[in-house]
Amino acid sequence: MVRRLSFTAAGVVIVIILVIAFVGLFMLRRPGTLEGTPTTIHLETVAAVGAANEWPRPDDPHPDWVGYLPTTILRVPANSTINMQIDQEDGATGLRNPFWGKVFGTEGGNMHMTYFDDKGNPQEGDMTSIDPTQAAHTFAIPDLGVFVPLLGVNSNAPAGSTNVITFSFKTKGPGIYHWQCFVPCAAKTVFGNGGPMQTLGYMAGELIVS
Amino acid sequence: MSTFRIEEADRPHVIRLAILWVILSVIGVIAVLQIQIPPGDETVQGADQTRTLSLMTAMATPVFIGVVMMIIYSAIYFRRKGRELVDGPPMLGNAPVQVVWITVSTIMVLFLAFVGITELATNSSAQTVPGQSSGTAAAGGSEMQVQVIAQQWYFTYRYADYSGVETTHLYLPVDRPVELHVTSLDIIHSFWAYQLGVKADANPGVDNVFHVTPQKLGSFQVRCAELCGIWHGEMADSQGQVVSQSDFDSWIAQQQQDYAAIQKVVPSYAPFYFPLPLTKGS
Amino acid sequence: MVTAEVSERRLAIPNNPITGVLLAIPAYFFGVWLGNLFGLIDDQNTGVILGYVFATAAFLIGVGFLNYPLERLFGWSVSPITEPDENRGLGRFFRLSLDHKVIGMQYLVTILIMLLFGGIGAMAIRTSLLSPNSAITPPGQYIMLIGLHAVMMIFITSAVIVGPFGNYLVPLMIGARRMAFPRLEALSFWVVPPAAVILAAAAFWGGFPTGWTGYPPLSEQAGQGMDSYIVGFALIAIALVSSGVNMLATIITLRAPGMTWTRLPIFVWGIFTTSILGLLAAPVLAAALVQLTLDRTVQTSFFLASNGGSNYLWQNLFWFFGHPEVYIFILPAFGIIMEIVPHFARKPLWGYRTGVVGLFGVALLSWFVWQHHLFVSGIAPVLRPFYMLSTELISIPTGIIFLVTLGTLWRARVWFTVPMLFCMGFLFNFLIGGISGVYLSDVPTDVTLHGSYFSMAHFHYTIMGGEIFALMAACYYWLPKMTGKMLSPTIGRLHFWWMFIAFNSTFFPLFIIGLLNMPRRVSAYDPGLQGLNTWVTVSAYFLFGSMILFAGNLIYSLFFVSRKAVANPWHARSLEWQVPTPVPARNFDRVPLIVAGPYDYGVPNARPVADFGGRVGATGGG
Repeated sequence: MVRRLSFTAAGVVIVIILVIAFVGLFMLRRPGTLEGTPTTIHLETVAAVGAANEWPRPDDPHPDWVGYLPTTILRVPANSTINMQIDQEDGATGLRNPFWGKVFGTEGGNMHMTYFDDKGNPQEGDMTSIDPTQAAHTFAIPDLGVFVPLLGVNSNAPAGSTNVITFSFKTKGPGIYHWQCFVPCAAKTVFGNGGPMQTLGYMAGELIVS
Repeated sequence: MSTFRIEEADRPHVIRLAILWVILSVIGVIAVLQIQIPPGDETVQGADQTRTLSLMTAMATPVFIGVVMMIIYSAIYFRRKGRELVDGPPMLGNAPVQVVWITVSTIMVLFLAFVGITELATNSSAQTVPGQSSGTAAAGGSEMQVQVIAQQWYFTYRYADYSGVETTHLYLPVDRPVELHVTSLDIIHSFWAYQLGVKADANPGVDNVFHVTPQKLGSFQVRCAELCGIWHGEMADSQGQVVSQSDFDSWIAQQQQDYAAIQKVVPSYAPFYFPLPLTKGS
Repeated sequence: MVTAEVSERRLAIPNNPITGVLLAIPAYFFGVWLGNLFGLIDDQNTGVILGYVFATAAFLIGVGFLNYPLERLFGWSVSPITEPDENRGLGRFFRLSLDHKVIGMQYLVTILIMLLFGGIGAMAIRTSLLSPNSAITPPGQYIMLIGLHAVMMIFITSAVIVGPFGNYLVPLMIGARRMAFPRLEALSFWVVPPAAVILAAAAFWGGFPTGWTGYPPLSEQAGQGMDSYIVGFALIAIALVSSGVNMLATIITLRAPGMTWTRLPIFVWGIFTTSILGLLAAPVLAAALVQLTLDRTVQTSFFLASNGGSNYLWQNLFWFFGHPEVYIFILPAFGIIMEIVPHFARKPLWGYRTGVVGLFGVALLSWFVWQHHLFVSGIAPVLRPFYMLSTELISIPTGIIFLVTLGTLWRARVWFTVPMLFCMGFLFNFLIGGISGVYLSDVPTDVTLHGSYFSMAHFHYTIMGGEIFALMAACYYWLPKMTGKMLSPTIGRLHFWWMFIAFNSTFFPLFIIGLLNMPRRVSAYDPGLQGLNTWVTVSAYFLFGSMILFAGNLIYSLFFVSRKAVANPWHARSLEWQVPTPVPARNFDRVPLIVAGPYDYGVPNARPVADFGGRVGATGGG
């Protein structure tokens, strides 16, 4: 009887441990992390992560989702100035709240952008705001007060064009800061804020400051 | 049986319990009144809530002590003494006791409801009038109108009396009644300014009105209190401030100046907004 | 035999769950294919919902639910499962059975397994709250976990007492040989495993972000995981309605001769009132779910303000169901407490009629309080005093439950068994839960407490501290009758004290955390609250340990020690203890004649509760 008891008890314990391990592994799963090198971050935003110029993810479970590439988990050092470069390849969707058309919280309060005007000619310059209806995405870290609108690629621009946005911001102490997009860019979801907007690795990200 | 008479066998228990209950209740009430109950007195409404919470705790303490005492007393004195099973006295009920119990609980409940309703009627704390704001400064009278706009996942604020300037943090002048108009651009959020004693759901297409009167300088936290998706937990801001009127004036002037350019493309101040894209797809 | 003219043909579907699963898998894919063919938008919601519905229907057919109607339709001879057959083998628990005792055991085992998974979800949530930011669990998984934990627990608690104990005991307690509608009763069980599986399937779609309230527009924004919520909840609504109809009909019509309403055990009254609530509330939920389904699939806009709908519509419909729902949880628990206490106090239930009035008072008032969930949502202010008053009024009938229990204990000769300990634990926990409910009912204080950990602690005190403690009392009290084995009282005592202390240590600090500005369902919180949260998490691990101890006690006592239970180990008077253990297939050889109340302890010249000699021609419950 003691043997039967111990065998059953061991079996139950093993099953419970397996279930807990499964739940645990599932619970901890995060997309890969991009290490700043050490203070420069280079990202790409695309309309469909399956077909990007720089970091395509053809094996992605949602290849047609909009996303920041290569990943949205960024690791940067604390209390330092981070230089960001975002290659923006997506077309405009427009902001639900036009207020976010302004640049907040960057060094100098502006961003530098190479883009295409309505005639399809390349342009370049420092900007403090963009036309809210022409925003494709925003790069926003609300807890650091950083809100940067990313201009959509003009429809008259040559095919495969990229707007390149550079700016820098200061990090605070260590911690996990979330960053997100304020443009309702997730097609086919209510208010454009479902799916990729609420999934790490697409339009939702974490800035791990360490 | 209708007279309230304590039976001989009950008497020692009743006396013991009554004395114990009175002593413990007095100690308990005094003890719980020492507790500093949030949200504190930064606003008139917050102070009100703190007071009501204290009152409720003071009223609940004797009830709690009484019932717990009964449970423990039963466990000690009414437990079976020997090993064999003995039946207790066949008491089927006692109408006067039941009447007293129900009457007392009814009185307590009605008293609490009376306190709550009076508070609702006299103090405008937590008073909402959905969709009934004209959206102009004049309609609010002396109250300053501030709009809280929730969106996934940030709160922005618009000051109707200052040409509808939109800001990223909430600053309020002290000693001036504020009418908060809470609305949402997308899904349901809830604007919870803890130290202000304000919680108001932000519904799309609804203007949810709350009143608050700051009475002390200080900072406050703002959080979302209604599950709104992945960043619900991060939808918080600890930079809210109650400042003096002069500080507020210079702050709002600075905001108007900083955001002048973007203010031109922000829609004109309205009770609520239905920005495009409206619903599904894009 | 008179069957000469009846066709001997039978439906060939073997009625077991394996057939059900084998049928369900192709049915799911057929539904997905069909939905994607006709669905309006290509995000697969139509397909997934149809897939779940078809799979559930196929599972039920495979289990054998269609055999009897088809046989009747075609005039074939009906399958023998219509009789509570004499098959005493273990296999009967894995088949469609119309024996209420088998269904009760099926329910109990299913729900305890679900409880394990819900509990593991809770542990995962608490683990992730060890860190004040989302360092441990990413926020997406965190809100998925709270959704799965919440809905799984709601499924469990809707049925955890009515399912196992209601089904098993009500016929025994009222002197009936079966339920009024055994097929509905079986249906109310067999939709629960598909509901649980469908709910768990949400994990493969990334879960749903809404918690158990499913507020649109968030629930319309959510991905396909939300479809699990819709179909799973709809199945639970079916279970509530079918079990409600069956229980009401049984209690009203199948009482044995002499079982007058005033001799009815109070537990049956608890089941009676909760069945009324389930029967009337669940259709409202079903209606809301249909609207949500239409919004998500064919692009209606019931709940989208920007297109002319209103998200208040869902909030009102959901809580019109949701508030009676929480009394569906607790009324049978009240019944259990008031049922068990007299048997161990060895005294009649003090104020039986008042207790019944209390149960009905709670059931009635529960229909008039739902808008207290909407105090800060922007409802018309003029309504709020009414809902504040009606909510506070509920504490009067609830207070009656305490009065009746404490009155029964007064000058009693309490035999402190394990079930009795759990009853005492229930009283303590539910007292805290009830008092904290008054805080939440008052509008000005609710402004601060609404949606915070305070309300979360409140409903865990009432559901976990109330209903689950009552469940434990019921398990220790009635499992000897249901299984024929006594549960170890030594482990039981350890279990009680461990669980009681760990429970209070887990949930009481949550009141403080709530008062200190921590909203529910957040993956990141004020770092200043990390100490308290860590304390709660460690306590929660201990609480989980106590549940494992309970599972261990079940396994140890049922399979290894086998301390055979006598027919009436508690020397209780009530009818269910007068039948032999194990309970015969048809419960009573003859329908008993009830001659006395179940609680007449110490009453001079009290007669035994029933005359089992039977009368000639007694037919009740036949």
